[in-house]
Amino acid sequence: MEFTRQEMMAIATGREIRDGDLCIFGVGLSMLAGYFALAYHAKNAKAMTEGGVYGSSPVGGLPWGIEDNRISANATCFTGALDALGFLVASGKCDLGIIGAAQIDKYGNVNTTGFWEEPEGPHFGAPKTRLNGSGGANDIACGAKRVVVMLAHEKKRFAEKVDYLTTPGYLDGGNAREKYHYIGGGPVSVITTLGILRPDPVTKELMIDSYYPFSSIEEMKANTAWDLKVSQRVTVTPEPTAEELEVLHAVDVTNVLKRK
Amino acid sequence: MPNKLIQLRDAVSKYTRDGMVYCSGGGLPVGSDSLVFGKEMLRQGRKNIHYLTHCSSQQVNLFCAAGVCDKVEAAFSGLEVYGFANGIRHAVESGRVIWEDYSNLSMSLRFLGGALRWPFVPATVNIGSDMQYRSAFKPDEYPCKSKIPEITDPFTGKVYGALPVARPELVVIHVTMADVEGNAIFLGTEWSRFELARAADQVILQADFIVDTDCMRQYPNLVRIPDLLVEAVIPWQLGAWPQCSVGVYDSDEEHMAGMNKMLGTAEGTAEFRKKYIDSWQTHEEFLAVIGSAKIDKIMKNATTHLMDPYRKWIKSDQEIAALMTQSKFA
Repeated sequence: MEFTRQEMMAIATGREIRDGDLCIFGVGLSMLAGYFALAYHAKNAKAMTEGGVYGSSPVGGLPWGIEDNRISANATCFTGALDALGFLVASGKCDLGIIGAAQIDKYGNVNTTGFWEEPEGPHFGAPKTRLNGSGGANDIACGAKRVVVMLAHEKKRFAEKVDYLTTPGYLDGGNAREKYHYIGGGPVSVITTLGILRPDPVTKELMIDSYYPFSSIEEMKANTAWDLKVSQRVTVTPEPTAEELEVLHAVDVTNVLKRK
Repeated sequence: MPNKLIQLRDAVSKYTRDGMVYCSGGGLPVGSDSLVFGKEMLRQGRKNIHYLTHCSSQQVNLFCAAGVCDKVEAAFSGLEVYGFANGIRHAVESGRVIWEDYSNLSMSLRFLGGALRWPFVPATVNIGSDMQYRSAFKPDEYPCKSKIPEITDPFTGKVYGALPVARPELVVIHVTMADVEGNAIFLGTEWSRFELARAADQVILQADFIVDTDCMRQYPNLVRIPDLLVEAVIPWQLGAWPQCSVGVYDSDEEHMAGMNKMLGTAEGTAEFRKKYIDSWQTHEEFLAVIGSAKIDKIMKNATTHLMDPYRKWIKSDQEIAALMTQSKFA
């Protein structure tokens, strides 16, 4: 079977969605993964955007934004951010959120705010590289029952400590989330360009759960800045089936995967 | 209720001033935002604006690139699939603009709290993250205890956070349609336009269409901003361009990318201003800058059926010109 790294990543992410889930996606690859799942194995799942567009699917291509015409053409409800991120996510009603990341640490904490020249001391200076900030990712990570994080597996992105903690994973590990009484459960998986990490049930440290057919445990460890542990049950991620690829391509009308 | 139609340039000169706490709505990176109002603010030389917004938009991008604002409080600084916002990036990295980060829900809650005149809003999000512990406005306070301070739930004793409420002096909201009195209906996500219209001291609407008040009487449930809250209404079709207005026009892909590229440098920003702001005064000239072929292209989109119920109440350009002469501002 022929498939690309991006296709493997999108399908692996889509497989995290269960039939019947209420899901919230961002734009780009996470939305592609989400709508792939809704079209393939999770036909009773429901998708919402953080701006409050419900019941829709992309028309004429993958949307440029969560509020644009392509995601608004066949909606059943337009409401607002307070409804979507508040009444549906902060309430604990949302089952699954998919978020992106620029940097992640061993406890699944995510940085999407910026990179600094050196680790920030007490003074908080201007960033060397400004990224996009939280958007709704922090809210999704605090409220959704399950969170899936997607990012490229590179050493600079898999850091011992994130430059800025935009979105909480398991903070310092263990039961650290309890201090803040987050209603959501935290990240259940980190889908990378090389494989899938999942948190240890007790320490919450991310471990290699599976690696893609074209990847290896060694390659994943070599591209991680901390000593990445391997689950005792580690496996090879099942490669995309012909049916999965067919549905993924049908959802990807505007060829986002080819553009990458 | 009086007729509140106002010319764009008059609205900017009457309601904006240097250093004010300004807000635009929806505050969406690709969707509805009061872009044309922002361009007129730049043309009139406004500076030191303290910008409160949900998310960045090309308006925030332009303000950062052109030195209109020096402080921003927002949840997002990108342009979604159009990428990083170059004007914002360079301004924040160089320290010209101080950017205070919140999340999308916390910005919504801050506007809600501002609208209700609450002293603060309890936060179950942002706490435990660097949005709580780091403040760009108070860079030497670490861990910051005054941006989202800890509060104790008086009922359970559990510790949460307190979000500061947001009360802009002025919000300019892009709406799909408004009547001359300021009743407004918008299509697509509301984002926080409902809360914003109630949080700000003054509210101005920028409308793609002016419709008869009978339209509001037919669909009163859909009027999310009532005339009671509104100071003035600017009729300006395609006012969110190059962003989209659901039901009316798509985002202009070519211009979204080209504008962002230009805003990446001082020379490009000056060229942008010359080509796309200084080149027009009237609405007709504004449309000529976009070009009729481009207008036809973005008006043909998958959402136009959403406008169908309202078309019979849309006022023509001639009718709007006549109504303008009867306005309280005439």
